Amino acid sequence: MSKSQQLREEGNRHFQKGEYVRAEALYSQALILDPSNPTLYTNRAMSRLRLSLWDSVIADCESCLRLSPDNLKAHYYLSQAHLALHAYTDALAHALKAHKLCVQAQDKSLTNVTAQVLRCKKEKWDYEEKRRKRETSDLEEEVLTLLKKEKDAALDGEDGGGSRGEELTREWEDKLRRVKEVFEKAREKEEKRREVPEWAVDDITFGFMVDPVITKTGKSYERAAILEHLRRSQTDPLTREPLQPHELRPNLDLKQACADFLEENGWAADW
Amino acid sequence: MAGFATKRLGKELSKINSNSLPPGIELVSADNFEEWFLDIRVLDSNPLYLNQIYRLKFRFSAQYPIEPPEVTFVKLADRPIPIHPHIYSNGIICLDLLGQQGWSPVQNVESVCMSLQSMLTGNSRNERPSGDEEFVRANRLRPKDIDFYYDDNNV
Repeated sequence: MSKSQQLREEGNRHFQKGEYVRAEALYSQALILDPSNPTLYTNRAMSRLRLSLWDSVIADCESCLRLSPDNLKAHYYLSQAHLALHAYTDALAHALKAHKLCVQAQDKSLTNVTAQVLRCKKEKWDYEEKRRKRETSDLEEEVLTLLKKEKDAALDGEDGGGSRGEELTREWEDKLRRVKEVFEKAREKEEKRREVPEWAVDDITFGFMVDPVITKTGKSYERAAILEHLRRSQTDPLTREPLQPHELRPNLDLKQACADFLEENGWAADW
Repeated sequence: MAGFATKRLGKELSKINSNSLPPGIELVSADNFEEWFLDIRVLDSNPLYLNQIYRLKFRFSAQYPIEPPEVTFVKLADRPIPIHPHIYSNGIICLDLLGQQGWSPVQNVESVCMSLQSMLTGNSRNERPSGDEEFVRANRLRPKDIDFYYDDNNV
């Protein structure tokens, strides 16, 4: 066994024990001896993920991808690091790439990768939702301030006050109240009861579907979930007829519908 | 699969809490995602089960719903074990649906309860499975590991 391989295995042992700093150092030593080994980069990236060293995770994954462009783990870890740094678009792009590679390779990490896709969409939506809310409340503040200014100007024009002044004050108070009401109504509408449509929910996990596949009976399931079931029993969940993984077909229209729904309703991702 | 069971059971629970269960089925407790208790009773006037309530125990593994839950009747002062040719007197149930072969991940707690309800409703035989006494005395296996011989699938 080569020296770098020895170092890597020692790193793996420390990683298993949760000693990520030690593991990371050993992978680094191995990389000095064997700098063109893609696995060493993903090994180190995984330790760095545990240590929350996001920028270093990204550097390692990118080194790995230069050597091996379709490396599933590199894309998966990249997605996690980008998500931690709130780079939502990159996080989602790499999660989707990892998902595609997972399906092609029939890799068992499909469940985790599917969850990562959902997580990216959810966090991206949460972030945008927060921004939308903040912008709306800033706008409300601005409109109210302008109105008050106008009111003061109008009152200044009316020297001496008196009954005309009181009338003007009432008018402006009424305007302010109505503006507030309009904003309040808009907020209520946003927070209306949220329901996930049945067609978007997988009957095995009860989760929102990312990559629905259809069986002979015409029923669709999340790919990761039905594959998990087929590993245990090669039967259709509804009819118990024999069912093989290669008989599953992607349900593209449903996949698109789910993605579109999530675009507008990110909260549904972890419903 | 990590997370499978917890997420799915959480959703089953919130569905139960918001839509309520069908008549004759009641959730007693669901304090964690490993063990739930439910009460069931039959809805017709089958004299074998008239005015009786039965307590069910569900045990979930981390692989639920890929793996079936372990479902047994529990004996309490006011909760007997229903008499049935497929229910042993220690509460172990011999039902295809709950076995490794018959289980399907689209089943859920509610659908299992309904199956058991109709299993009781449809029964007219006032008897235990053959070899009940011997089985109750000797069995040390978990219900899912018992290789039941389905000698009479018409019951």
